[in-house]
Amino acid sequence: MSLFTDDVVTFKSVLRLAYNFLAGREYLKKKKFKDRRKLIAVALPFSDLVYSAGGVPVFPIRMEKFNINAYLAALNSATNLFGWDLTTKLLTFVRQFDVLKILDNVLDDVIHTINHKYNELYELGIENGISSDFCYGITSLTGMFISKGKNLDANINYTIRCSAWNKYSESIKKYVPKEIWVDIPPRDMGNAVELLSENIKAAIGELEEVTGNLVTDNSLNKQFRIGNQVKRFYKTILYEFSASDFYPCNPATFAEILALLGLSFQDYNSNAQRYLENISYLVKEMRKRIEKSIGMDVKGMPRIMITPVFGGWEPETHEILYRLGARTIYADWELLGMLEEINVSKNSDPIEEYAKYLLNAMMKGVGCDQEALTDSYIKTAKDLNVDGLVFNQVFGCHSISNCYSLLRKKIRKKLEIPTTVINFNKIGENVEQVKTRLGALVEMFR
Amino acid sequence: MKSLELLSEYSNYLEEQKLEGKKIIAFMSHDSIPEELIDAAGFIPLRLIFAGNDDLMNASHDYLPPSTCSFAQSCIGYFARKPNLYKFLELVDYILLSNHCVSDICVSEIISDNFNVERLNLYVPYTRNESAIKYYKIELENLRKELENIIGHEIPDQKIKESIDKYNLFKKKLAEIEKLEISGSQKLEIFQKAILFGPKILNEIEKLIQKNREITSNDSQTESNNKKVIFTGCSIFLGDYLMDLIEESGGEIVFFNTWIGHNYISQIYSDKILNSTDDPIDLFLYRFKTNIYGDHSVPDSLDNEISYLETFINEYQKENGEKLAVINHVIKFCDHFSLFQSTLKERLQNKGIQVLNLERDYSRANRGQLSTRIEAFMEMI
Ligand code: SF4
Ligand code: SF4
Repeated sequence: MSLFTDDVVTFKSVLRLAYNFLAGREYLKKKKFKDRRKLIAVALPFSDLVYSAGGVPVFPIRMEKFNINAYLAALNSATNLFGWDLTTKLLTFVRQFDVLKILDNVLDDVIHTINHKYNELYELGIENGISSDFCYGITSLTGMFISKGKNLDANINYTIRCSAWNKYSESIKKYVPKEIWVDIPPRDMGNAVELLSENIKAAIGELEEVTGNLVTDNSLNKQFRIGNQVKRFYKTILYEFSASDFYPCNPATFAEILALLGLSFQDYNSNAQRYLENISYLVKEMRKRIEKSIGMDVKGMPRIMITPVFGGWEPETHEILYRLGARTIYADWELLGMLEEINVSKNSDPIEEYAKYLLNAMMKGVGCDQEALTDSYIKTAKDLNVDGLVFNQVFGCHSISNCYSLLRKKIRKKLEIPTTVINFNKIGENVEQVKTRLGALVEMFR
Repeated sequence: MKSLELLSEYSNYLEEQKLEGKKIIAFMSHDSIPEELIDAAGFIPLRLIFAGNDDLMNASHDYLPPSTCSFAQSCIGYFARKPNLYKFLELVDYILLSNHCVSDICVSEIISDNFNVERLNLYVPYTRNESAIKYYKIELENLRKELENIIGHEIPDQKIKESIDKYNLFKKKLAEIEKLEISGSQKLEIFQKAILFGPKILNEIEKLIQKNREITSNDSQTESNNKKVIFTGCSIFLGDYLMDLIEESGGEIVFFNTWIGHNYISQIYSDKILNSTDDPIDLFLYRFKTNIYGDHSVPDSLDNEISYLETFINEYQKENGEKLAVINHVIKFCDHFSLFQSTLKERLQNKGIQVLNLERDYSRANRGQLSTRIEAFMEMI
């Protein structure tokens, strides 16, 4: 049973985010068949160009059919009829009758359904010949394309430092009708910005062909503005609320929200404007609750950053930490430089600004080597002022997960905060180790 | 045994070079390193092509998790342990970090940070489009400057061009080796030695070719019963027992479609191209642009490899009446070859070509199992 069901019901913004994530399939069907829009797969937070071209970006797991329980189905009909405000009333109403059952189901849908699906798609990847030596993220993503790739119109790939990622991106071309590439130069040297701009232009040309729409400076800037606002709200949650002594909910729910943001940030749940409204509402809701002292006093609970989680992690982690009396912070996109804003000032060239944004993320966030990557860990841990760091070592990851020994040394030298490593292969496989390691870590704060 | 001799000869060579004041630049990248530039600057390029073992892999676990490619693990192991035959690694002055794969980055960085070896960098773009070629040029010029800073003077274009000519001629000779009727293990030994010593052993290669031509023309051709195969995927590195296992199981490798083998040798310039420019950097760019079989690049590396293999097999069948099978060698946790192995097998098998995906690490315990799998495959073809 979940620890934080009671908090979820009052967070309608979270419900919206979760609902939009889970109900992607129906939404996307409508977009594809009724609105005749083109579905373009994205992974990692690289959806801006697709939006600018009038395509519908989709993180492909969202094309799956999730087991949405009766409660969410009711929510869906109610929202269709009355909008979200009344739905909150509905929730409150329903809650009086059968609180635990319904709310537990909600939580199961949001968290466990997604994870269950992840594992299912991971298995599909393995069944189709992906060696189990590859990271969970790549394997389950491959499963996603095997499962639903044929419904896509295209897929957009960005080359990054991780060679497994680049090769995976090449490998999925057999499942999608068209692949569009943005080759990011490995380092910001010479006129790399200009060269990347050329590559972005070429990708835009291909997107235009797929969608039949013209990409203009205006359409780019419009999308970048939306993205920038989303990033600002995201940062508010990370920097302001996560550092506060009073949380608008219990810390496990808070971590849950961060996890949901992490997942949905990749495609903005296929509707950037709606996503912006949701996240802005989320920030308002959090602030209001804190002002009214609704939530939980978390003073004295150490704040632990767990990273990287975007390639897969054990979702029990934040519940375990909560039981141990600690708070969990998931901040991968900040760490990888993806929450930086894109300059949209007057007279700026949007393509060039986007190129600068990407190169900055590659140089300072992802880093062109382990030195730069570990520096970005240290910087983010410092900026977020976390009390401890848990390194999630993903089996088969040769790019990020193998920097732990260097990172540990740096943390000792530069941060002096407790740190530990947990190993991840597949959801549910290593919960005991996670419990033991986290238990030992939290002991260090006593 | 032969690899022991080769290593001791190589060790002597490097010591001599060091005495003459030369500096050594090591690198593990399997492609796109302009060794001619390194040579023209007066350095010795040392390609890390040494196979590993349990001890070496274990030695790397202080730095990297065991779920790293076992070749990469072993590279660290060599620097951590410096086994007797590899003492020459102490002579290494620089490590050239490249991003052939991400393990290349990590390992080079670890070697530089922990074993007192200075680091140089050469990052290679992932595609080969126009921007990528321009970017590669930036990296090449940067490397050239870094080398010039070390030696304290410019590296003249002419010198680089001479070096390109020298390596080009050398590769042309190696291409002749590919066609000789000698065993796969003999070819592999020559390729490994060539990769280590470079054009310095040109004479030796020429003599060898001559000698073998004479033997072939004097011998009445005897048909061997060995099963002929193409070897593709990860290279067989120096000291690996894999070649023995294949030959002991009745296999005969007629073609090495690997970096230590055809990928390296085939990167030859025609005279027309060589004479088309005075700028040696242009020649490096040309090579990069036309290197469609390199495993680093996306998005067509697998398609290109499959169509190449298919054409080769068909042509071989026309000429020799025999259909070659394929051994696809995958070093465990290799990002480049592991991910594609099932697709490669499926697609070639759909064309009637038999394929053995041979995934392994360098542990001793693997040997028996590998041998059984190779034997079974040889029986099947
Ligand atoms: S960085 Fe690691 S987790 Fe991410 S795709 Fe590459 S191998 Fe997988
Ligand atoms: S064997 Fe594969 S993973 Fe290992 S260094 Fe070579 S390309 Fe990289």
